[in-house]
Amino acid sequence: MPDDISRRAVIVSAALVPVAALAQQPTPASTPSALSDPQLRLLAAIVDRIIPKDDLGPSASECDVPVYINRALADYLAGEKPAFIEGLEATDALAHRTHNVAFIDLSPEQRDAVLTSMDNGTADGFPNARGFFNRARRLAMEGMFGDPYYGGNKNFAGWDLIKYPGPRMATTAADQRMGVDISPYHHSAYGSSGNGAPGGEHGH
Amino acid sequence: MAINLKPVDVAVVGLGAAGGVAVLPLARAGLKVAGIEAGTWMDPSKDFKPDEIHNNVRSLVTTVPKAKNEIPTFRTSPDAKARQAAAHPMMNAVGGTSIHYHAQSWRLKPWDFKTRSETIKRYGVNLLPKGSTLEDWPVSYDELEQYYDIVEHEVGVSGKAGNIQGKIDPAGNVYEGPRSREYPMPPLRTCDFLDHMHKAAQSLGWKPFHAPSAINSQPYHGRPACAYHGYCDRGGCQVRAKNSTCFTTIPEAQKTKNLTVFDGAQVTRIVADNNGKVTGVSYIRDGKEYFQPAKVVLVSSYTYENTRLLLLSKSKAYPNGLSNNHGQVGKHYFGHWDAQAGVGVTALFPFDVNTWYGAMLSQGVVVDEWADDTFDHSGLGFIGGASMSTYMEKHPIAAASMATFGRAPAWGSAWKKFVHENAGRFTGAYLQTNSFPYENTYLDLDPEVKDPLGDPVCRVTSGPKENETRAATYAQNKMEEWFRAAGAIEVIKGQPFGPALSTHTYGGTRMGDNPETNVVDRWGFSHEAPNLGMLGGSVFGTSGARNPTLTMQALAWRTADHLAKNWKTIA
Repeated sequence: MPDDISRRAVIVSAALVPVAALAQQPTPASTPSALSDPQLRLLAAIVDRIIPKDDLGPSASECDVPVYINRALADYLAGEKPAFIEGLEATDALAHRTHNVAFIDLSPEQRDAVLTSMDNGTADGFPNARGFFNRARRLAMEGMFGDPYYGGNKNFAGWDLIKYPGPRMATTAADQRMGVDISPYHHSAYGSSGNGAPGGEHGH
Repeated sequence: MAINLKPVDVAVVGLGAAGGVAVLPLARAGLKVAGIEAGTWMDPSKDFKPDEIHNNVRSLVTTVPKAKNEIPTFRTSPDAKARQAAAHPMMNAVGGTSIHYHAQSWRLKPWDFKTRSETIKRYGVNLLPKGSTLEDWPVSYDELEQYYDIVEHEVGVSGKAGNIQGKIDPAGNVYEGPRSREYPMPPLRTCDFLDHMHKAAQSLGWKPFHAPSAINSQPYHGRPACAYHGYCDRGGCQVRAKNSTCFTTIPEAQKTKNLTVFDGAQVTRIVADNNGKVTGVSYIRDGKEYFQPAKVVLVSSYTYENTRLLLLSKSKAYPNGLSNNHGQVGKHYFGHWDAQAGVGVTALFPFDVNTWYGAMLSQGVVVDEWADDTFDHSGLGFIGGASMSTYMEKHPIAAASMATFGRAPAWGSAWKKFVHENAGRFTGAYLQTNSFPYENTYLDLDPEVKDPLGDPVCRVTSGPKENETRAATYAQNKMEEWFRAAGAIEVIKGQPFGPALSTHTYGGTRMGDNPETNVVDRWGFSHEAPNLGMLGGSVFGTSGARNPTLTMQALAWRTADHLAKNWKTIA
């Protein structure tokens, strides 16, 4: 298909994006907290071993992954809150049983050992360890790589880590080239960067 | 006590992909139509977003109360207890599933309509799948062609013809049946990765082509072209470039003033008189019960609900459910052996494929060499095969959750390094296997699980199938060959296990000339209740190796057109 046709088509499309889609509030109103402060600290300690701080970038908690999970458990995932808190408490109890201290008092290597036993189903006295670990890991992925609108992925660090260039209302064939770095477009689908709306302009 | 409404000519139950198309020829013919839809109108500017959490993680476009309350149960053998699935594969809304579908708009192949006789002719009766209830359709591709053509132009389909009246064009699908003219729009735009896959297929001697789709590649009928933003999957289109029936045929029918849309209206029963004719439908809207009298009823909900609604609608004339005096309602049901049935292939490349943006499978390159009866099956032990599609559009949470191909752990710094390097370097292929009806696979009502109204939900029983397992495995190996030719360094093939609940389901009210084995006749009208028509995948006798929607829409138009032309006889 000739390039000029598709380019023209994209311009027409972008012009027709309803204004309402671009003018929503940047972040949802703050929601009640599902977890207590000690539970949030324990959650941060867990997700920071799943997504640790290293030379590739910040840790899960530095990207507000616990904020995402806490907010989700207070609203969309409210039904899951008791089971999740039970999982957090069981993880801490496992640390006490195996190392005689709370999970947050373990060294990074010890935390990894506890989480590994949960991941591979060898954690004694914690029958649902694998289920809880997988759920925590899944929610960490949502918080790290989901739209910042939901509280996580602070400074778009999750998207930068995997080189996802960000949601745009319209893209061109140039945005679909192979072997070229597509400039990141640091915008939420809800316009949360404060620099304008997701669409209308391009990151390069 | 139900509130009696003013009688109409036709009540259409469900305004989705099929019902949403059928209303147009009816309304244009001057018939008064009530479009009764359990869901509501959706607002593209408010309800559709480029947001993976909204669309995919939380399924907020597709999860609506009615479907959620009626999730079918599933089991793999009649001896097992069926369990309710986690989610319903379909949704309710004006426009239905045509809102969030991938919009691939295929014609089935001539072979799909006469698989039984063609198989016997070419290979002998022994290659017919064991235990299948396969029959030739009562409609041929040639008979359906004019309706495919109408729908492609009314709804708006982008694509490249490979066979116009026998003239073959290698830019299109050379294996398709002959069509009367070119598509109304060219295919969606190509891009680097699709060109790369196109070349790789050609290097194998195959004939790749761009997928046909009900997404505008150019402005069409007052709506814009696709913007390729990459959130087509499980989302609606903000710019209305995806030709969902709520943007196309339904508003067009409303312009005639002959269609009235009743949204938020959940049909609970179809009512029949003692002579076996249907008299209208009962529905609940805002907690009140209504009766909509109609001279003709067309049922166009999803495959599961089509069967369920008939089985729930018992009467003196139909003690075992409407149009079920031959015991065929729910029989010949089957699901498509596609990605939902384990027929997936994933590849890792040593370079960035950059498939983040795009329009899912509608912006895709397809190979049809290993589908249908395109190749010789002598000695292979199965019939059919699969179409193989590569595509654009990848979302960040799914990408970060990618398989690590045994090259890294699933968390920690080594995992971070792996996804940093590889999230842009992997992609999947979508394979759709020719699937058939079997004695061991059917729908009925669950004896225990009920919806909030107290009505039993649909129960799916789906037994094992050797033919489809072999065909899917064969095609997966071909897909691996294609990915390897394109330079893939790792390929993972799923284990085909057969469909559970699926967005591609067929049968339950199968179409055929023989009333002993089929619920509706060649026009889509009941063999038992003459003024009851069925629309959607529930009338299909084979799946084809491709998405069903365009065929549902062509059949819906044909049934509606037949009704309008034979109004006095049928009503």
